[in-house]
Amino acid sequence: MKSRESIFKNKLTWAVIAELAILIVAGILEPNFFSIEFNAETGMLYGSLIDIVNRSAEITIIAMGMTMVIALGGTDISVGALVAVAGAFALKFLRWDVTQYPTPGDYSVMPFILVIIVPMIICTLMGLFNGVLIGKFKLQPIIATLILMVAGRGIAQIATNGKQFTTGYTPYRFIGQGSFLGLPFPIIITIVVCAAVMIFVRKTAFGTFVESVGINPNASRVTGLKSDRIIMIVYTLTGFLSGIAGLIYSSRISSCDSNNAGVNYEMDAILAVVLGGTSMTGGKFSLTGTIIGSLIIRTITTLVYYFGITSESIMAFKAVIILIVIVIQSEPVGKMLATRQARKREAGELRG
Amino acid sequence: MLDHDVILTMKGIEIQFPGVKALDGVDFELRRGEVHALLGENGAGKSTLIKCLTGVNKMDAGTIMLEGREIRPTNPQNAMDLGISTVFQEINLCENLSVAENIFIGRQPMKRGQIDWKEINRRSAELLERFHVHIDVTRPLSQFSTAIQQMVSIARAVDVDAKVLILDEPTSSLDNDEVQRLFDVMRDLRAQGMGIIFITHFLDQVFEMSDRMTVLRNGHLVGVFNAGEITKLELVSTMIGKDLDEIFDLKRAEQKADAGQMLKADHIGVPGKVEDISFSQKKGELLGFAGLLGSGRTETAEMIFGVTRMQNGTLVIDGREVKINEPMDAINNKIAFCPEDRKRDGIIGDLSIRENIYLALQARRGMLHPMSRKEQDALADKFIKMLAIATPDADKKIRELSGGNQQKVILARWMATEPDLLILDEPTRGIDVGAKAEIQRLMLEMCQNGMSIIFISSELDEIIRCSNRIIVMRDGKKAGELNGEGCTQADIMQMIAGEKAGETA
Repeated sequence: MKSRESIFKNKLTWAVIAELAILIVAGILEPNFFSIEFNAETGMLYGSLIDIVNRSAEITIIAMGMTMVIALGGTDISVGALVAVAGAFALKFLRWDVTQYPTPGDYSVMPFILVIIVPMIICTLMGLFNGVLIGKFKLQPIIATLILMVAGRGIAQIATNGKQFTTGYTPYRFIGQGSFLGLPFPIIITIVVCAAVMIFVRKTAFGTFVESVGINPNASRVTGLKSDRIIMIVYTLTGFLSGIAGLIYSSRISSCDSNNAGVNYEMDAILAVVLGGTSMTGGKFSLTGTIIGSLIIRTITTLVYYFGITSESIMAFKAVIILIVIVIQSEPVGKMLATRQARKREAGELRG
Repeated sequence: MLDHDVILTMKGIEIQFPGVKALDGVDFELRRGEVHALLGENGAGKSTLIKCLTGVNKMDAGTIMLEGREIRPTNPQNAMDLGISTVFQEINLCENLSVAENIFIGRQPMKRGQIDWKEINRRSAELLERFHVHIDVTRPLSQFSTAIQQMVSIARAVDVDAKVLILDEPTSSLDNDEVQRLFDVMRDLRAQGMGIIFITHFLDQVFEMSDRMTVLRNGHLVGVFNAGEITKLELVSTMIGKDLDEIFDLKRAEQKADAGQMLKADHIGVPGKVEDISFSQKKGELLGFAGLLGSGRTETAEMIFGVTRMQNGTLVIDGREVKINEPMDAINNKIAFCPEDRKRDGIIGDLSIRENIYLALQARRGMLHPMSRKEQDALADKFIKMLAIATPDADKKIRELSGGNQQKVILARWMATEPDLLILDEPTRGIDVGAKAEIQRLMLEMCQNGMSIIFISSELDEIIRCSNRIIVMRDGKKAGELNGEGCTQADIMQMIAGEKAGETA
């Protein structure tokens, strides 16, 4: 008798169904789509499915944070810029003074730990900056995060003097290109990050607090929740996660590119959240749904490449599939289906 | 067959919600030029019947005839086009638009392809004149009081060529003068032949205004009565289906002579809102706060609970001077607060009953010490049983409950924190007689067990019935104190009016 609940769950169900449907279409058109091979030389599994999960890592990780940002009724459009920031600072530490180390060889000027930690700290602080503007100064999230969306890429440019650095340093390249237990390393990172976030959110009361503030900030305050603190934690976390995604991305391409790294990531992350069934108006959220949403986006992209659809039409193709998924998930359609289901059940009960 | 006096007939209305039959074969008839009260406890099906008439809910069976033609409203706009206008309990207007824009939104008169602002402003002002409201209609709605906003929404509803006007709890945020003004308007409209469906919890108003009454209980029609055919007490017992003695047998909590001091407020205030409030409260004492809307009752409560920051004075709780800057500080001092505006400050609509109940307790424990699902369930089940919250299960969203049951959930949220001092701001507003009596009984019981309660209410009779002592507020200041025992409504009203009477004398 939990009608509302089942509609919400339906959204998740629909996301799974959509993902499976896209995969089935791919399998019919190209039987090889599901084949996974083990390459003994690199010690890594290869195949479209592995590739989908691997390539969705950045968006999935960012979207974990974005889910809660959206649950609070906000948005964070600075995440893409933060991806560029993380990459720029990592490469800065790897190469430091480029005139002294002109060739991108297998070396790191700074200790490797700094190369990893400092960019993440910078992104975390930038997330905190967003959080303070929104939580303490009550700026509208889209305006507050617009600041770093614009300024972030500038900061990234400054860090690298406007140059595009590359690196051949093996430990750094391992983050995005290495493998562990036969899986590409970004998949491992994603699993660890998602598990950690989920445990933090659902094994403590944090998730409920976020939902509560997202649904009714006034009432939450009167109930004793410190909403500004919750808002700051969520945006800070999102900044931190963007930093991780930034390292993965820059490691994948062995370089930093302040103009192109993480472009449109904010849109993909928001889309992943929405596809996963979390409403843009805030409130209840589903992290599992977000992971599936991110996979859907990547599956579509992979599919498009796989069938050699021209790059000009990729965006349009993606848009059509996303439109279908979102309409199926929409409340009127959900209600319609729920009513139909209830009628059927009732009819069944009468007969029985 | 066709009775020309009848404007609206609803026959055999049935509505099925998941798990409950909200309406079961309900008939309703409205005549031209009558005020027809629709009565029943919360959850009796009044709102559902109205929603069915305005096309919000779909009927599973039954027919609606408007002026002899069968209609099936599909949404509120459609119902409005058919001539059925509704003023809802919660004001459904855009605060940031001007008064005139609000009245004409969606049907702006046009002139040469452009909106005719002059016409809009002129007609809006004219319309409000009828209600004896003289305001600048070009100013944003948010600048006016709730009462004015209510008038605006009624003006909007009657301006569209309505045959049937539904007023759902129109008086719950109005003071006496404003209520009278509204009644004048209703009488006007009645004289013009409009059929008015009037939903209210104030029985006095029902008897003052209505020509006929239809009573619902648990989704069934209980009876239709002509005014004058039934006494107030009979009506109440019809509504709740219970013996009257059972309801009104409430006794004031006994005050122990040796009870210690719970709270002492010393000249507390927020400049511009409330100033210089001093009072003390004993343990186990029920302290009533009376006064007009806006007299500073709510502001005082919000100050003690830290919703607004106290700027002057000192607060001593349980013998210690405390500094309360935000609600969490108050909660840590074992104070609890059920706010007046349940929808804005109370319920977390999309969360379940269970989550709404455990939230305050969880907030005090801190987020890193989560209650297990088992503890949450136990807590929710305990209070659902204790307060008789009507719900199939604890996982129903709170916004799907009736007002009275929502209020009980909020009460449960605070009872779960086991407070020493519970502040209740209009806990019985907008809920029915049965639930009201239950909440009053519960308050008295809690006081008997040693809890102190601050009880704010606009209804003098319930304040007098329950309070050990009464503090009367006027214009942001304390006007005086009265003993609950032997106090009459006239005493309180005199004190509310006090200063003015003093001036003329």
